[in-house]
Amino acid sequence: MKASPEEPAGLYVLDQLDRDERAAFEARLLREPELAALTGRLESGLARGIRSLPPREPPAGTLAQIEARIGAPSAATAAPAPAAPPDHTARRMVIARWGLAAMIALSLVTLAVQSLRRPPAQPVVVLVGLYADRNTFTELPLRGPARDPDARFIQLATLAEDYWGRPGALPAGPQPAAGGNRGYALFDPGSRQGFIAIERLPVVAENQRYHLWILDPAGVRDAGILPLAGMNRGLYSFTLGPGDGPKSDRPNFFITVEDNGPAGQPAQPRGKVVLGQESI
Amino acid sequence: MPPPESEVSEEIRLLAAVAAGDRPAFRELYARHSAALFALALRLTGDPGAAEEVLQDAFVKIWRHAADYDARKSRPFTWTVTILRRTAIDHLRRHHRDPATFPLPEDDAPAVLAVPETARPMAEDHERSDRLNATLETLAPPQRTALELALFSALTHAEIAARLAQPAGTVKTWIRRGLLELRATLSETDP
Repeated sequence: MKASPEEPAGLYVLDQLDRDERAAFEARLLREPELAALTGRLESGLARGIRSLPPREPPAGTLAQIEARIGAPSAATAAPAPAAPPDHTARRMVIARWGLAAMIALSLVTLAVQSLRRPPAQPVVVLVGLYADRNTFTELPLRGPARDPDARFIQLATLAEDYWGRPGALPAGPQPAAGGNRGYALFDPGSRQGFIAIERLPVVAENQRYHLWILDPAGVRDAGILPLAGMNRGLYSFTLGPGDGPKSDRPNFFITVEDNGPAGQPAQPRGKVVLGQESI
Repeated sequence: MPPPESEVSEEIRLLAAVAAGDRPAFRELYARHSAALFALALRLTGDPGAAEEVLQDAFVKIWRHAADYDARKSRPFTWTVTILRRTAIDHLRRHHRDPATFPLPEDDAPAVLAVPETARPMAEDHERSDRLNATLETLAPPQRTALELALFSALTHAEIAARLAQPAGTVKTWIRRGLLELRATLSETDP
């Protein structure tokens, strides 16, 4: 296959050219408007692809840490200095340092209060294996900065995607019959967020939907509709409202098939249970 | 949704202000790009702690090298992505993780990462994933894999070609066409 003259443009926007190729391409960019236009379109494609990833807010405090590093660069890491800041920046930096000190002090107070309130047990997420004839329960410890809701969600999502990609990594438990329905729920009681993965569910009729329910000693609560859209498998995230969290360390999950009635979503399960157990 | 041209102009102005040491401009730039860049850092490193470290290092570099930015050569977001990607690759090498040994996306990877209707705050994630997946689904499997690796892994095009057992020129063409397809398709579905 013969490469087109514009071929390096795609590699340029992905930073895949070596230094000499990059310099040569940038020289062309400055004198070839058509190539610059093509590169602009490719950059737009790159931006759209990356911005189509679900955005993830960095942990709280990241910007403060970056600004702390910017404020006092070490001689070893200092890069070519940008143009000198305007005079008013120095005063703003003094204020910023006071603000940073106040923020750190406040954070320490908050941390101390949270530490007093935090139960001594290590935070865990609950892995509920869902099969046609039984559920299994496993507690998995959270690692790292477990107080941060974003960090907890990232750990949860990482676990969910990892198990989805490598089902063999799921904690050992009774295996379902070959070809049977199966799935698992990962749930963080602390943040009330979770993931539900399902496999091999029959495709439902157009007027029906799969519905996820959470069950504990306080009763059954709605955890949402699974938008399978003609597929029989999928990995979904869900978030329970503040009053909907489980009242147990071992919440149960199950999935029913519900009709799309004129009254909207049912408040309680009415359809057939297709995965998991409707009892504790 | 990618920014319109007026926002690109605003980001060019912000970078010029950052180059002049303007902290509020830097915070504005962080507010605009940190979530997308953190998501990319997570994809590249596969580790939340490493992703945070990479994001921090990248924004420190953005602050220090903003004066080097040339609007004739790239858009601001592409420039920040390049800095983040290079920082992630450096991080992986420092920690003795060879990007070339990363596993390929599995055939049975989730077709969608979607949300039930009750998970309102994540509905936008669902929409984004669906639009990206729908676009990628239009590509032939090896082209899709090449584009995904180019966008979301730290592999070079030569490493991607080796992984896919394809000539480097073919992979280059796939990547370029894939980017144009992304631009066209996602543009059509943008609100």
